Amino acid sequence: MSIEIKLNDRFALVEIVRQEGNLLQVKVDDKIYNVDLMHTADGTFSIIEEGHSYNIELLTLEQPKKYIAYTLYNTYDVEIIDAETRYLINRGGSGLESSEKNIFSPMPGKIVKILVSEGDPIQKGDTAVIISAMKMESEYKAAIDGIVKKINVSEGDTIEGNQILIEIE
Amino acid sequence: MRKIKKILVANRGEIAVRIMRTCREMDIETVAVYSEADRLSLHVRYAHEAYYIGKAPSTESYLNIEKIIEVARNCQADAIHPGYGFLSENATFARRCGEEGIIFIGPSPEVIVQMGNKIKARETMQKAGIPVVPGTEGSISDEARALEEIRKIGLPVMIKAAAGGGGKGMRLVHREKEVLTALRAARSEAQSAFGDGSVYIEKYITSPHHIEFQILADEYGNTVHLFERECSIQRRHQKMIEETPSPLMTPQLRRQMGEAAVEAAKTVRYTGAGTIEFLVDNDLNYYFLEMNTRLQVEHPITERVTGIDLVKQQILIAQGEELPFAQKELVQQGHAIECRIYAEDPDNNFMPSAGKICKITEPLGFGVRTDGYVYEGYEIPIYYDSMISKLIVWGNTRDEAIKRMKRALYEYKITGVKTSIKYLEKIMNCPDFIEGNYDTHFVEKNRNTLAGTARCNDDCEDMVIISAYIDYLDKLSRVYGYKEFVPAQNRWKKTPLTHHF
Repeated sequence: MSIEIKLNDRFALVEIVRQEGNLLQVKVDDKIYNVDLMHTADGTFSIIEEGHSYNIELLTLEQPKKYIAYTLYNTYDVEIIDAETRYLINRGGSGLESSEKNIFSPMPGKIVKILVSEGDPIQKGDTAVIISAMKMESEYKAAIDGIVKKINVSEGDTIEGNQILIEIE
Repeated sequence: MRKIKKILVANRGEIAVRIMRTCREMDIETVAVYSEADRLSLHVRYAHEAYYIGKAPSTESYLNIEKIIEVARNCQADAIHPGYGFLSENATFARRCGEEGIIFIGPSPEVIVQMGNKIKARETMQKAGIPVVPGTEGSISDEARALEEIRKIGLPVMIKAAAGGGGKGMRLVHREKEVLTALRAARSEAQSAFGDGSVYIEKYITSPHHIEFQILADEYGNTVHLFERECSIQRRHQKMIEETPSPLMTPQLRRQMGEAAVEAAKTVRYTGAGTIEFLVDNDLNYYFLEMNTRLQVEHPITERVTGIDLVKQQILIAQGEELPFAQKELVQQGHAIECRIYAEDPDNNFMPSAGKICKITEPLGFGVRTDGYVYEGYEIPIYYDSMISKLIVWGNTRDEAIKRMKRALYEYKITGVKTSIKYLEKIMNCPDFIEGNYDTHFVEKNRNTLAGTARCNDDCEDMVIISAYIDYLDKLSRVYGYKEFVPAQNRWKKTPLTHHF
């Protein structure tokens, strides 16, 4: 059974050709690899391929088919595109969730100051909100010109990561 | 003289653990205090006793003087070690300890006041004949006066919190139109970090080196310095890498600055461990910057080259003992480097990255020390500093120390949060760093060299894809008994050994 796997922007087709215990022959796109693969249940992988030793850590995110993969120097977003995922993607359409239109919190923190009000015009690069996290204050700016449509937080609020703080139209 | 038998550590994180380690070696009982966010923090688990002191924001817990005093009294602690940050340079706290008959491990409240306020410290040092950087003579609270002062001193200037430290409430201003924004930001940060919004303004020295001297002083007037620490590798005005000896230092300058540091400490009748920070320019002129009346984050590199446990000396001095060594007995042996590991994203302007530590593998081996506090399954709270550990290496020479640091950084793996580890490794490979040719502008100057990631090759990416594929098949076969793939019976560890909180 071949499965499509997405690594950052790359789509690759993967298939097991042969298996003998931990010795696997795997085809990735057109390339065949003979690997000795050992792993733990919580995502630590040791792979020996042609004498090269690779250490990879997989971190499962909220969805079971999405991973963050760590190699020595790189971090990748990895997703298994099986039938179910494909169905969800197709049904969801490709309507781009405009992250540009909204100001997100990239991490948990606390709102120190909101510099705009609903209905205000805002220009690209204007600071809209100041957030304090881990004792540092950072300014969050608008990515587009527009009007402040909605402000979802107040000064002093504790916020979660990836929360929409301010919507711009 | 009274032997200290129990110490309350009024701090958290790596420094709390580091202090308790020495206490254990000295057969001293340890008491941890913790906020709501720190129930599972390592210092709580490491200590003999642990007491809850309040809500997560530090103003309600680690800065709550009366609560901490109450805990110390109830558990009959002989002494309180404040670590760095929090109450370590708070004179009221030191005074309250004294009133309750608890030893404050640090200098007297009078000295803390004198040196803790950077404006007073400047005046004191000027009087003692130690060179200082040109700047305002007092703190400034109104904006018009600030603008006027800045015109007088001349741009660029540095705006600093009068009660500050650790880069908080600090802004560099190059252009006149940036003055107001910077001033407001500095004041707001100073207000929230130290509860005091007053700032002062200083001439900004171009190509500055940040070099500090560690000093130790006992109650009997014996004062020594334990040489310098070069702390010029900084980002957002916070130190990232420190080393000793400094590549800039000459034996003559070391003697001069060391004597100035000892003189500075003697001028204020300092006791305990302290640090005199200097700015040194390329022509080797030095200026007194400030005195930190506490243990520094980067103290381990001094410990490594001198062989002296600074926390142990702090405790011995606090219980009234005499320094067991004289200046001439102290030597710097070899070279030590410290890298601070922050939970942050170097590719995104060093934005802090809170979250849960998934896996952690710490470096080991000859000449390597880690002072940390996070463990697998630990969730880094958003309320406190983003530094998660310090990696300290030692080598016979600077070259050996750099190579060892590279090796140790290679071994250091943390997943779950973004860290500065790979960024630090890039600095170790940077020609300017290797040649010792750097000042506090290093990070800015080498921005391009340090940016981006070395992409691993296609094979390596394919290995990631294979891993994800196998993990997926493994899960499928466990649920559906999937036939084409047989999970190996003994595929290494089937159950993780670590059971996370």
